Amino acid sequence: MRFLRQLAAVLAVVTVVVLIGLAWHHFAPGSFGGQGGPGPHRFVRGQAATAVHRGVKVTPGVELNRGLSGVPPIQLGDLLEPVNLAVLWNTAWIEAAVIAAVVIVDAGLRKRRRARRGPSR
Amino acid sequence: MPVVSESLPLRRVAARTRLDFWFDAAILVGYTVAYSYGFTGVVIHEWLGIALGVALLLHITLHWDWVVRTTGRLLRPRGPDKLIWLVNLALLFAMTLCVASGILISRVALPELRISLPLDDPFWDRAHTLTAEVTLGLVPVHVALRWRWIAGVGRRVFARRPR
Repeated sequence: MRFLRQLAAVLAVVTVVVLIGLAWHHFAPGSFGGQGGPGPHRFVRGQAATAVHRGVKVTPGVELNRGLSGVPPIQLGDLLEPVNLAVLWNTAWIEAAVIAAVVIVDAGLRKRRRARRGPSR
Repeated sequence: MPVVSESLPLRRVAARTRLDFWFDAAILVGYTVAYSYGFTGVVIHEWLGIALGVALLLHITLHWDWVVRTTGRLLRPRGPDKLIWLVNLALLFAMTLCVASGILISRVALPELRISLPLDDPFWDRAHTLTAEVTLGLVPVHVALRWRWIAGVGRRVFARRPR
């Protein structure tokens, strides 16, 4: 019961955030620059293959995912090709670097605070 | 490999602490994979993103007591959790908008669920990219600010029990 009450509170908070996002779209649709304005507009995605990250290799003959609802082939479907692991490593490396930086700064600050307080018993 | 002193027996890890540790680890791994769009492709990216949205709701629910307690202490002049609270608030906004905009621009998951949103707006594409990048910066900060808890629990979780 307590869990459900807390989940309801979380859902309320998340709903508020989503509403803020919708309000952002409503009141400032051109806030990312180069868009908005009167008349219909369309975001140009380019060809399917150009949506792939730079350096990503596409295995020849890979079956594009069509989906059960007959959705036309969309980009590359499920890849998980070992050759594209570099993309995953890149993300992991960024996260590891930020974690290391924060931990070093935090440890340094804590050490300085302790030194300022003097030796503890 | 951490050295565990034999003279100091490791306390048992409470079930709730163990749940937090593994659930949070799974969210971190899931987010890292979902962000790596060039590796997953669009199908896994979208379904994993939706799963992360659900996981985010559960994660905040499991830590709701902390949210209420820390929010109540914000006005006090000294509070060690103020920075963490601010980072978490920014992460809540970024991740929620990232998942929401991802759902709005979904091209595989929603059609599979027979849901079609008549949206053709570059705003949500760009909002998704922007919030994903902000999230990539904030997630490791969120993790790192709790590194003592992670190291402490991790040491106990991975410690071998004497036979």
